[in-house]
Amino acid sequence: MKRQIRSFSTLLVAIMMMVTILAACGGGGSDKKETSSDTGTETKTETGGEEQTADAGKPDTSKKVQLNWYLLGDAHKDTPKVVEEWNKMLEKDLNVTVKLNFTTWTDWTTKYNLLLASGEKIDMIFASSWADYFKFANQGAFLPLNDLLPTYAPETWKSVPEQDWKEATVKGNIYAVPATYPEYTPDGIVYREDWREELGLPQITDIDSIEAYLEGVKNGKKITPINGKAYNEIFTMFKAFNNFQQIGGDSGVVVSKSYDTPRDIVAYPFTPEFEQWAHKMKEWKDKGFWNSDTLSNQKEAGDAIKTGQGAVYWRNAPGAGGYIMGLKTTNPDIKMGYFPYSRFHNLTMPTLSVNNAMAIPKSAPNPERSLMVLDKLRNDPKYYDLMSYGLEGTNYSVDTADSKYIVQPPAGTPKDDKVHTSYGIASWGYRVESMERVKQASGWPEFDSLLTEFKAQSKPNIFAGVLMDYAPVKSQQAAVNSVIQQYGQPIMMGLVPDVDKAIATYRKQLESAGVNDVLDYIKEQANKSFDEQGIQ
Amino acid sequence: MKSFLQEMNRNKVLFLMIAPTLLFFIVFSYIPMVGVYYAFTRFSFDGGLFGSEFIGMKNFEFLFNSGVLWNLTKNTVLYNIAFILISNILQLLCAIFLSELPGKLFRKTTQSIMFLPFFVSFVLVGAFVFNLFNSDNGVVNTMLSQLGLPTYDFYVHTAPWKYIIVFFHVWKGLGYGTVIYLAAIMSISDEYHEAAKIDGANIFQRVRHIIMPMLVPTFILLILLSLGGILKGQFDLFYQVIGNNGLLYNSTDIIDTYVYRSLAVNFDIGMGTAAGLYQSFFGFVLIITVNYIIRKVRSDYALF
Repeated sequence: MKRQIRSFSTLLVAIMMMVTILAACGGGGSDKKETSSDTGTETKTETGGEEQTADAGKPDTSKKVQLNWYLLGDAHKDTPKVVEEWNKMLEKDLNVTVKLNFTTWTDWTTKYNLLLASGEKIDMIFASSWADYFKFANQGAFLPLNDLLPTYAPETWKSVPEQDWKEATVKGNIYAVPATYPEYTPDGIVYREDWREELGLPQITDIDSIEAYLEGVKNGKKITPINGKAYNEIFTMFKAFNNFQQIGGDSGVVVSKSYDTPRDIVAYPFTPEFEQWAHKMKEWKDKGFWNSDTLSNQKEAGDAIKTGQGAVYWRNAPGAGGYIMGLKTTNPDIKMGYFPYSRFHNLTMPTLSVNNAMAIPKSAPNPERSLMVLDKLRNDPKYYDLMSYGLEGTNYSVDTADSKYIVQPPAGTPKDDKVHTSYGIASWGYRVESMERVKQASGWPEFDSLLTEFKAQSKPNIFAGVLMDYAPVKSQQAAVNSVIQQYGQPIMMGLVPDVDKAIATYRKQLESAGVNDVLDYIKEQANKSFDEQGIQ
Repeated sequence: MKSFLQEMNRNKVLFLMIAPTLLFFIVFSYIPMVGVYYAFTRFSFDGGLFGSEFIGMKNFEFLFNSGVLWNLTKNTVLYNIAFILISNILQLLCAIFLSELPGKLFRKTTQSIMFLPFFVSFVLVGAFVFNLFNSDNGVVNTMLSQLGLPTYDFYVHTAPWKYIIVFFHVWKGLGYGTVIYLAAIMSISDEYHEAAKIDGANIFQRVRHIIMPMLVPTFILLILLSLGGILKGQFDLFYQVIGNNGLLYNSTDIIDTYVYRSLAVNFDIGMGTAAGLYQSFFGFVLIITVNYIIRKVRSDYALF
């Protein structure tokens, strides 16, 4: 009897475990089914509603929905409060709530790719030319918005300039709503101006004065001038110095040899300019302008400047403003200067409108409502201020001198206040110039004159429109990418013992990886695009 | 089939008990295997898994074309062999030392301290390594220059990295493996030891003739289990420690870091799956072969 009871109870336990697991799995499965059928009917009713609304001119918002949004980067500590406030407003005005998610900056490319590939239900996501907007749009990851925009985002549809829409168009469809925020972002370096004056070094105007400056601070201050990862500093300088215009992604080796001869397309490691540069960089490295471990270093060179251990840091023009203004509060005794590389050839190109944009993934359950929220966000100052600058009083206060502008953190905040901080998330995707309440480049006084300089020498960006998804040459492209890192980067940083031998190896490896196939493919695509744009 | 049903009928309860595990593996390991098909398609967001265009072996080309596959496979396998052997032997030794140590408090403390590195993330390990070996103010180079010796540029020479990487791998897993062996030692019946003591065996003889032979099955089992993953490199370790430093790739590039580097720029599901399939396939072949050999030699130690 006792034995029977025991075996019975074992059986019972086993059955219970089975059931729990089955229930867990089954529960998950049926849940999914429910939501998917739910969204199915929802889209149906909404498309049904569309016909009505086309007549009435007012979209149907009777059904309450929750939207799922993704932005890049990290949330601010006040983000939950801000979003709560936002949702109150949204619920009242549009009968929706939004769950705002962030990818964080760590490995954001991988996460971003996975979000789109996994088919997660996302109603709106940040998109950008530097986050492979064109590739994803081409592969069908985003929803075409042409038909939806006039109905669900009428104000945005009217206010975004024609050219901006054109830049967001892929194969005849608009896949993203670009931010309306024209910018110039030429690469350049910020440097310790006070040290330059103190040591009596020449003004930085060209490559020789940069070298003189680096040498001067290296010897005069006994520090490593570019103290951290230095690849960006050097690689962007290389491109700008030689007037090479990179085509087909920031990481490749294919460039147009100059802006004026866009069809002269080459792989830069095979040019004599690269050879000269490599020798120069070897000299620079041997003089100790950066450390031999620079490629493994994870630290930004900018952090070393703050501690007095470095002098030079790569920034684009608005980024330089942000960095310099930041230093003014943390290290007021440091005086910085800025040299934009665009001065090598007196040439700047405006960024594409889709440099920052918001797109709707194909998987979106409620694209219509999401567009309505975006329209509100871009055009209603109450929404715009909240989602860009946070809460008034906590994160900012209105500038008493000029009420168009605001002060971040609120005026009169003591320096070590942890509660009142200036709000900052990657809100670039829905930025609108006319709605902005802070000056570009964080109010950096020198920025206005730089902007005049950039505008005077500005030429249209003819390269950004070259659309590529690399599908026919992707295995070669993958192999080339790997070769660049293994052989190219050490040469660029002057870390190899014998430059000529290293360049020969690099070229051989590139060729066997298939760089010529990639080059031919890019040439073909670029020429097609130049033909369309009417450029010789 | 009939006998299987009879068997099932006879051991209802046992089968019920294994069912959750079976279910777990079916749901999380076997069903996802369908995704292997990605390796043979050109992925598009429109098509999904079965709607995407079939392109045969094209996704594997980037592995074979570049001519680096042999070097990568060699690095991966050699590193893993070093990891497996050195780790297991050291873990075994530590477990024996610990089991023979007198003083419970001391033993427990040692064990816990040894376990701690297991919880340290590889990002931190990477930071440790950089702070130890960087050229400017790394611990090692600072010490060298204080002693008046010439400093050494670790990050431009490939030679020391094999040892550094193996060292940190072993250091990190030591505590964890020791616990497994310690458990195996504890399960050895006291009767053997008592009998041996009566016969006058000293501690070394007991270790040599009782503990060692009793641990062989555990040792072989652990080695067999790790062999299956021999083509899977420890990505976190290599990526965090070496990072983007191309100068060191000749001796530190493994399949996983190569795949990451090639595809990080051009995210491609098909090619990523292809690389994973290559690793799994050869892992599978390897474990079958090794198990076959073991079955020939000592059939009771074989996995299946």
